[in-house]
Amino acid sequence: MGTIAQGDLYRMISDAKERGERVVVATVANTRGSTPQQRGAKMLFLESGDVAGTVGGGCIEAEVWSEAREAMRSGKSALRHFSLTAEEASEEGMVCGGTMDIFIDVIGDLR
Amino acid sequence: MPEPNEPPIALLLDAIEHVMNEGSIAALATLTSAPKNVGTKILVPESGPAVGSFGDVALDKAVAQWATKFLAARDEANLFQVRDLAPELTEWAEASILFERLQPEPRLVICGAGHVGAALARMASLTGYKATLIDDRADFVVRDRFPEDRIELIAAENWNDAVRQAVGNGRGISVAVVTRGHNEDEECLRAVITTDADYVGLIGSKRRTNIVLNRLREVGAESEKLRKVHAPVGLDIGAVTPEEVALAILAEIVAERRGGTGGSLSSWRRESKREQGNA
Repeated sequence: MGTIAQGDLYRMISDAKERGERVVVATVANTRGSTPQQRGAKMLFLESGDVAGTVGGGCIEAEVWSEAREAMRSGKSALRHFSLTAEEASEEGMVCGGTMDIFIDVIGDLR
Repeated sequence: MPEPNEPPIALLLDAIEHVMNEGSIAALATLTSAPKNVGTKILVPESGPAVGSFGDVALDKAVAQWATKFLAARDEANLFQVRDLAPELTEWAEASILFERLQPEPRLVICGAGHVGAALARMASLTGYKATLIDDRADFVVRDRFPEDRIELIAAENWNDAVRQAVGNGRGISVAVVTRGHNEDEECLRAVITTDADYVGLIGSKRRTNIVLNRLREVGAESEKLRKVHAPVGLDIGAVTPEEVALAILAEIVAERRGGTGGSLSSWRRESKREQGNA
């Protein structure tokens, strides 16, 4: 899954708005250390379960998914802190370490 | 036009859509942590009034001012504490705001759909560029060859009109001139040189590109613009095959956009003898 162009992202949000659906957008707000994505990288979660974009491959994506699912349910936006120590990373065989602040943004309720 | 009773987020999405359609630049500020109103947004276009509110007129004003600084810094995104941008607003001191840059997606106009142009179009599309591929041989720019719908295909009746139309004023646009012949290259470059394209590259040997540039100088092309043309196009990676040449061109375009040097990231190990052994 690659990065998503800004135009496509906002088009998908507008489409969800037309359908009266909630959208969760995870945005990398801050990074420290050797993280897999840059500030501003985005991942979009739709009510259908579809996703687009990426905030960092396998390294933290599972955690971000679960936070996004929770936000989809609760409707609450929040800045979340994710960390991957070098030790965890090497156990997983991943090249990334460091920490990321990711804003989990619930866009809605538009209905 | 949006209805006045639409929720704020709908008004904001409309404003974002407007910025996107216009191809202009804006800062989008989102309140990411705060005692209240987390998730609210303010869109600050480069020119024109801000849209949205964090629910405090003084904070909104500070955000609009900070947005100008943020855009000038050319960051894609950055997180700030309110105490950094408005220390006098003590009740918001611990709050944080995410600023993001909205800008047109990068575009690459490729003159010539031969082996290099075709490889460049595919590679650029993969890298996140919207590629426009132009050729005067209509059977070279058919959808069968380029199923990727992000690649725009233009069969040119004449190079000048097609290139001018694709490049427009040139802002946010890179142009690679890689046609099959030097006369075609010259015709394309002549159309491009009058625009404000971010990057212009011309394929060929040093000698042949000099001939093209000199001819343009003779017909009165602005010498400052000719000086900025990357000719021969591309970074020196020893490219041989068309795909490698495309890679060298794309690498140079990315370096230009992102402010890279094009050198090896590891060169410091060899430049500094003292570092050896620690590495």
